[in-house]
Amino acid sequence: MIRKGLEGGSYKLLTPEDISRINETVLRIIEEIGCEVNSDSALTALEKAGATVDREKRRARLSRDRMLELISKAPSEVTLCGRDEKNDIHLGGSRVYTGTGGTALYIYEPGTGERRQATLDDLKNIARLVDQLDNIHLFLLPTYPNELPFEEVDVNRFFTGLDNTTKHVMGGVYTHEGMRQVVRMAEIVAGSPEALRERPIISIIACSISPFIIDAKYGDMVVAVAESGIPLVCPAEPLCGATSPVTLAGNVVVQTVDSLMGVMLAQAVNPGTPAIFGSVATNTDLRDYKYIAGSVEMGLLNAAGAQMARFYKLPYYATGGMTDSKTLDAQSGYESAITNLLCALSGANFIHDSAGLMEFALTACYEKYVIDNEILGMVMRAVEGIRVDEETLAYDIIKEIGPGGNFVTARHTRRFMRKEHYQPTLSDRNSREKWEERGGKATWEKAAETVKTILESPAAGLPDEVRNRVLSEIKGIVD
Amino acid sequence: MSEDIIELIKKNVIQGRVTQDDEGIDEGMVGQPGVTELIKEALASNVGVSDIINKGLTASMGVVGQKFENEEYYIPDMLASAEAVGAAMEILKPHLAKSGVKPKGKILIATVKGDLHDIGKNIVSILLRGAGYLVKDLGNDVESRDIVEAVRKEKPDFLGLSALLTSTMVNMEDTIKALKENGLRDKVKIIIGGAPVSKEYAESIGADGYGADGLHAVSVIEALNNHDSGVT
Repeated sequence: MIRKGLEGGSYKLLTPEDISRINETVLRIIEEIGCEVNSDSALTALEKAGATVDREKRRARLSRDRMLELISKAPSEVTLCGRDEKNDIHLGGSRVYTGTGGTALYIYEPGTGERRQATLDDLKNIARLVDQLDNIHLFLLPTYPNELPFEEVDVNRFFTGLDNTTKHVMGGVYTHEGMRQVVRMAEIVAGSPEALRERPIISIIACSISPFIIDAKYGDMVVAVAESGIPLVCPAEPLCGATSPVTLAGNVVVQTVDSLMGVMLAQAVNPGTPAIFGSVATNTDLRDYKYIAGSVEMGLLNAAGAQMARFYKLPYYATGGMTDSKTLDAQSGYESAITNLLCALSGANFIHDSAGLMEFALTACYEKYVIDNEILGMVMRAVEGIRVDEETLAYDIIKEIGPGGNFVTARHTRRFMRKEHYQPTLSDRNSREKWEERGGKATWEKAAETVKTILESPAAGLPDEVRNRVLSEIKGIVD
Repeated sequence: MSEDIIELIKKNVIQGRVTQDDEGIDEGMVGQPGVTELIKEALASNVGVSDIINKGLTASMGVVGQKFENEEYYIPDMLASAEAVGAAMEILKPHLAKSGVKPKGKILIATVKGDLHDIGKNIVSILLRGAGYLVKDLGNDVESRDIVEAVRKEKPDFLGLSALLTSTMVNMEDTIKALKENGLRDKVKIIIGGAPVSKEYAESIGADGYGADGLHAVSVIEALNNHDSGVT
C-alpha cells in the first residue's frame, strides 16, 4: 500500500495568535515597506492590479485589501498530474506529498567515497529510481547537467524527466526560450495545449530574492509562467541572520512576504493561476554563513510555513529531508529524518528535496534516494497516525481471547496487520545471526542493491510516436 | 474431478481458510468452502488420502513456506495456513491407517516448570501439525515428572521443550535427567527452543536438537525424522 496525500497537521507549532501576529507583520511590510520589483512586466502588472508603485525606486506596495483580494484569486487546491494518472497529486488542505529536488551539481558514490560532477545521465537514472520508489510522489529535477551548454539545459532536463518517469515533473528554468520550449514539449506529450492545461504534467518554479526583491529575470519568468497557464511555484528562501532576521519568527515573516508577492504577481497577471506558496527557508552556519540544509531549524521554519499557507488558503511547497553530511552516515540519517518528519506532521502539502540530497544540497546520491524512500515511508506512516474505531478498539476479539490469551492466530490480526504496521523496504530487522549470514550489510549497501535492481529494469519511456514528435519539433535535445 | 478438489484444497490452505467463514487473504472468499469442508468432500468422493496429503496439504505448505521466506507472508499468515492443515489432519486421522498412510510422527510439547510463556511453543505446534505431525501440547509451567509420565503414556517420537527465561531453562536439563532416571531418554528425541537457549546449550544438556524459531524447529525435527526412518 502506498501512503500519500494523507492528512497531516497534528503538529501545530504556531498558535492561532502566533499566526495572526505573523500575518499582521506581513501585511504591514507589504503596505509600508513594499518590494523592489526589477522586472518591468511584473511592476506594470502589479500597478494595474492596484499596487502603489514608485517607478523611480521600483518599489511596489499593496494595501491589505488589495493583497487579500489578490491572494483570494489563487486556487486553494492544485492538481499536479503524472503521465500516469495514478501518480496525480492533489495539493491543498493538510494533505502531504513528497518529492525530489535540488538541482545538485555533484553525485556522491558511497562505494568509492568519491564525489563527481553530475551529468544528464544522472538525471535520467534518478528519474528512473524515483519512478519505482513509492514514497517519493513527484519528480522535481534533481541535478544540473554540467556538460550541456546553458541554452540546452532546460529542454534536456525536462525531456529526460518526462521520458523516464510517469510521475509529475516539476523544475526551475534558466532561460525564457528554454521555458517556452519546455511548455511546447509538454503540450506535445500531453496531446495538445488544452490537454496540458487540463492535466498539467509539468510545473515551473520561480524564486524571489529575499528580502523583498522580485528579480528582473525571474520576475519576468513569473509573468511568463502565469500567462502560460502552467502551475507555478513561487518559493522564498530567506536565511536567518543573513537575508532575514536571525529569529525564526522574523524569518517566517520574510518568507511569507516574498512568497506571497510571487503568488499575488501571478494573480495580477492571470487571475486564477495555480500558484503554490513556498519555502526553502533555513538558517546559516554562524561560523561562516553558509547555507545549512539539515538543521532542526530548517524543519521548524518549513513546518511553520505549512500553517501560514493554510491561513492564506494556498497550497504549500516546503523543503525538508536533506543533510549536511558528506557521506551516508548517521548524520545523514538523522538530519533527513527529523526535517522530513517536522514538515510532514505539520501538514506541508509537498515536501521537496525530501529524498536524495546531501552536503548542503550540493550533492545527490543514488543510494540516498533509496534510504530516504524508507525514511519517507516511516514519515508517511506517522502522518497516518492511529485509527480509532470499533474494529481497531477490538472489544469483541479481546473478549474472545480473554486474560492470558494471545492474538497471534486471531483473524483480526491477519486482517489488520498489513494496514496498521509499516512494512520496511530497507531497514534490517533480522537477528544478528541472520544479518551476518546475509552479508552483514550496512544500510547503504542494501540501498545500492535496490539501485542496481531498479536501473536494470525497463524505464517508463514516452510512447515512440510522442517521443519522435518531441525530438523532431524541439531543438537541442540530446538523445 | 479429484484434481480440482485437490487444487481447491491447496488454494485454501495457501489462503489460510479453515472453514467457509474464514476470510483468507483475497477479497470475497467468505462463504466459499474452506479446507474443512473440502477435505470432507474429498473423502466422500473417495479421493486417495495420500494424494490429499501430498498433493493438497504438503505441496501447499511448501508454497506457504516459500512466501514466508520471501517475506510476503508473516507469522499470522503462515499460522492460518498451518491451522488449516492441522484441521485437515484431524479429519483424516481415522482414515490414515486403512489407507496405509503412516502419520509422520507424534510430538509432545511443553513449556517447562516455572515458565508461562507459550506463544513460541504455540507457533511451533501449529507449524508441526501443518507439517503432518500429531502434536499434543502439555501446556505451560509443566513439572518434569508430569512430562516423564506423558512420555511414558503417549510414547511420542519427539519431545519439544520451551522456555523464555534464563531462570527456567535449567528445568530443561532437569526434565532430561528425569527421563534418564526413568529409562525413557533413549525412547524419544528431544528438541529445545526459546530466546535464552542455544545450540551450545542444547548440546551441553544432552538434547538432540535446537530450534532457533518456528520454521527452524520444524526443519530440525524433519531432518531427525527422515534420518531415523532412513529417508534421505
